[in-house]
Amino acid sequence: MTATDTILSPQQLSAADPARRQRRTAWMLTAPALALMVLILLAPVAIAAVLSFTNYSLGNFGFDWVGVENYDKLLTRSTYAKMFTATFTYVLTVTPISVGLGLGAALLINSLTRLRDLYKTIYFLPVMATLIAMSIAWEFMLHPTIGVVNQTLAKGCGTWVETLWPWLAMHCAEGMPLWLGNRRYAIWVVCFVGIWQGFGFNMVLYLAGLTSVHRELYHAAEIDGARSGWERFRLVTWPALGPTTVFVVTISSIRSFQVFDTIEAFYPIGAGPGKSAYVMMFAIFEKGVEQNLIGIGSAITMMFLGFVLMITLIQRWLVERKVHYG
Amino acid sequence: MAGLILRQIAKTFGETRVLRGISLDIADGEFVSLVGPSGCGKSTLLRIIAGLEAQSSGEVLIGGEDVTGVRASDRNLSMVFQSYALYPHLTVGENIAVPLRMRQLTAAQRLPVIGSLMPGARARGREIAGAVSEAARTLDIDGLLERKPGQLSGGQRQRVALGRALVREPAAFLLDEPLSNLDAKLRVHTRAEIAELHRQLRATFVYVTHDQVEAMTMSDRIAVMMGGEILQCAAPGVVYDDPEDLRVAEFIGSPKINLLPADVGDGGRLSVMGHPLDLAVPSGARGVRIGLRPEALVVADAGAPLVGRVVHFENLGSDLFAQVAVPGLEDRVVLRASPRMRSSLRLDATVALSFDPAAALVFDGAGKRLRDLRRPAANRHREAVL
Amino acid sequence: MTREWWKHLVLILGALIVIAPFYTMVSYSFKSPGEIDRGEGGFFGRQELMVDEKCVKLRDPNRDDIAAASARFPGMDDNAIRKALASEAEADCSMRPAVYNYSQAFTQAPLLRYLANGVIVTLSIFALQVVVALPAAYALAKLRFWGREAVFGLVLFCLLIPVHAVALPLYIGLAKLGLTNTYAALVVPWTISVFGIFLMRQFFLTVPDDLIDAGRMDGMSEFAIVWRIMLPTAIPALLAFAIFSVVAHWNDYFWPRIVVTGNRDLFTPPLGLREFKGGADGSMFGPMMASATVIVTPLIVAFLLAQRRFIEGITLSGMK
Repeated sequence: MTATDTILSPQQLSAADPARRQRRTAWMLTAPALALMVLILLAPVAIAAVLSFTNYSLGNFGFDWVGVENYDKLLTRSTYAKMFTATFTYVLTVTPISVGLGLGAALLINSLTRLRDLYKTIYFLPVMATLIAMSIAWEFMLHPTIGVVNQTLAKGCGTWVETLWPWLAMHCAEGMPLWLGNRRYAIWVVCFVGIWQGFGFNMVLYLAGLTSVHRELYHAAEIDGARSGWERFRLVTWPALGPTTVFVVTISSIRSFQVFDTIEAFYPIGAGPGKSAYVMMFAIFEKGVEQNLIGIGSAITMMFLGFVLMITLIQRWLVERKVHYG
Repeated sequence: MAGLILRQIAKTFGETRVLRGISLDIADGEFVSLVGPSGCGKSTLLRIIAGLEAQSSGEVLIGGEDVTGVRASDRNLSMVFQSYALYPHLTVGENIAVPLRMRQLTAAQRLPVIGSLMPGARARGREIAGAVSEAARTLDIDGLLERKPGQLSGGQRQRVALGRALVREPAAFLLDEPLSNLDAKLRVHTRAEIAELHRQLRATFVYVTHDQVEAMTMSDRIAVMMGGEILQCAAPGVVYDDPEDLRVAEFIGSPKINLLPADVGDGGRLSVMGHPLDLAVPSGARGVRIGLRPEALVVADAGAPLVGRVVHFENLGSDLFAQVAVPGLEDRVVLRASPRMRSSLRLDATVALSFDPAAALVFDGAGKRLRDLRRPAANRHREAVL
Repeated sequence: MTREWWKHLVLILGALIVIAPFYTMVSYSFKSPGEIDRGEGGFFGRQELMVDEKCVKLRDPNRDDIAAASARFPGMDDNAIRKALASEAEADCSMRPAVYNYSQAFTQAPLLRYLANGVIVTLSIFALQVVVALPAAYALAKLRFWGREAVFGLVLFCLLIPVHAVALPLYIGLAKLGLTNTYAALVVPWTISVFGIFLMRQFFLTVPDDLIDAGRMDGMSEFAIVWRIMLPTAIPALLAFAIFSVVAHWNDYFWPRIVVTGNRDLFTPPLGLREFKGGADGSMFGPMMASATVIVTPLIVAFLLAQRRFIEGITLSGMK
């Protein structure tokens, strides 16, 4: 390792030594990242896995093993049935609609000759905005009396709109809906805000996907006899957007699983009327952090990780399968 | 199969006039190349024929029928694109089948899975499969039918694109620079194949290229386009030997034609570098230039019109091109010689070059070919003396 | 344009729904409580002078005030002086609703402190992410070493784990270490960005090896290569990643909500907003929307100024 060493064996210098030195520096360069990955991502998963079989609480010195009791509760108690219902309602509503709207908006915007950037900017605004602030703004808009939504609906009362729309007629008679307080609407309002916030993101990804579709393909499709816009969409656009779609669906569903801000903003306690918006993240927060029921919180965490893992594995499988695209 | 007629096709994009009134008759079964530098409007013209773009004025007739306003999918044309434009998610076989499926199957029959259960779908499907395998055999790609375009080489993709074009019997084939993405060797090979295919199918081919060699080797006629106009449309030999326009003469031929400024003397007699020639032009011609193909120049004794120094050789094996710097000329003069003459043409040697006046192409100041050439009377006298 | 009108119609309707809550937020931040209640006043409200009752109550004159003021109002009895003082206070406490809302936003809660916390937390997170991710990404992309595939496999595996999902065990760990309610708790879990490593590695793969070899020939150590060659070439990618990271953590609500309880000094803007909402009665809607506007504005303005970069940054995750 001294200067004389290197002078004495130049061959060693050129072959073995740099490789070894490179190996050592490589490990030094990756060590911090590795350590943090283990500490912050892997260890917590392991800890959650272990704690999910205990009745541990913060502040207690010990804990008891309770076997699968926590998981058993998750699968049998009605609170958790509500949790799964709310979570899957949210994910299965927000994902397809925000993906569909994102695709629709992207196709419309892409076919325009002017004002494209303006629409793109506007639709992307919610993605940037602090969700909790915007949730509060939505809360005002949906306010039963002073909210603009009900005020607008009330304007339809007594006009021809009422006759065409029985739902409105009913509410004109009985009073406008309590959007956030009504069990029938609560989760759908939360879904709506989720879609409002997320579809611009999908739109931008689809717009990027559309620019990669070769223009000559559309010409070829035209020459080949694809006469309608729908046929060209089926023959060229949709297959070309396949990889984008797989990705957009994955990321949308993972984001939907993580919904929390909206629900905490609307319902600081209780997650909506009759726990109708009791999603998993909220349950983790409420059980694990607020009520210090770490065992059950960990079990929900493990379930949550299981769902996310499943979605990602499906995505990777789809991507692998279509590796020969393009 | 049908002929194509273009009448006064013009196209403007905003302020720019891309095509300025193009008229061209293409006979049934003819192979016509549109050749010109990039931006000359040749691709736009092809796309107007295809119906992918609308002309600003003028009309396109296919098989005698005006197709203005008829959309591309209804014109019954096949097209091979520069990028091949293969559908990346479909196999080679499916790609070739697309034009048939789109035309011969109903929307219901095309549905995935259920489609094949529709009445008549099976029989049609078999017909299509037969046509696809026949096209694939013609192009020698029957082994690739199950592959996706992403797994093919450039040459193979090119064949698939051709296959998709010839799987049905279109009124004409349109080819938009189909060889430009191939490597040089494959290009030469495919060139011959396309020409053979044309002979075999006896179909109308319109071929767009910027490569004059492709145009020269494959076509019945070449339409040389520049600045949105067809400068000349004639058989390859005619375009080369007898160009109508200086720009045609310059564009066709490699190495480029040599251009010498000529002075017009008494009685229209031309002289080059102060050396009188046995050529006279109608009086009043100005800015006359003489075009000489490299093979028109011969090494001569002193006293020839051009004297210069050999500055560079390009030996292609079969041919030898020598670049000669002639004092007073801006461009080097290129001379084609046989490699046997290599010994007499040393680098830095001074050579004298002469040419047969009959081989000289004379252009006026506007670049138009001057055909009304005479031999000056005085000259005949001198010749007699000599 | 003629055939596009229906597309514009659809898109404009969509745009109205998208913009509506922004409009409401900003509009409420300008209006007086009465206008909000009655839903009138258009976008800006009428901006009529309003009296801040709390301010008036604070200046309710007591005996000493009256005694001190008696010099200013010679020949008046105490009651008259009290009235005069009260009307003075009322005059001083009346202001335009917009001014009222925004001044309340900053005085009712330490909004500036929250904003400063937001800046500190987001910037430290980004800086630490770069310090950790960049060398690792370089090693994974450009150095050959035994175990490289395994490390990269681990990175790919960790991409599956959203940090929010493991919030509970992280919270337990931090609580055990006594780190809850500290800046560290806000920052530490985000220091490792597996996505950042992945992204930077993909970027570094495109940097020619010759550049690194040239650095080695010039006598640079591997560390020097990371910071003096790779970092500058990665600036565009880093910028996109910076936007991705800053937007995510400025807006993050879940994690601060878990680890910061009660200690207002550590509140990030979203937490501050929630606190505001918790204590707000009808008269505070204006100020609450004013602070919401203040919190949302920085990113929106930055976005409007550099849209392309922002869209690129936020959708980075789409470039896998």
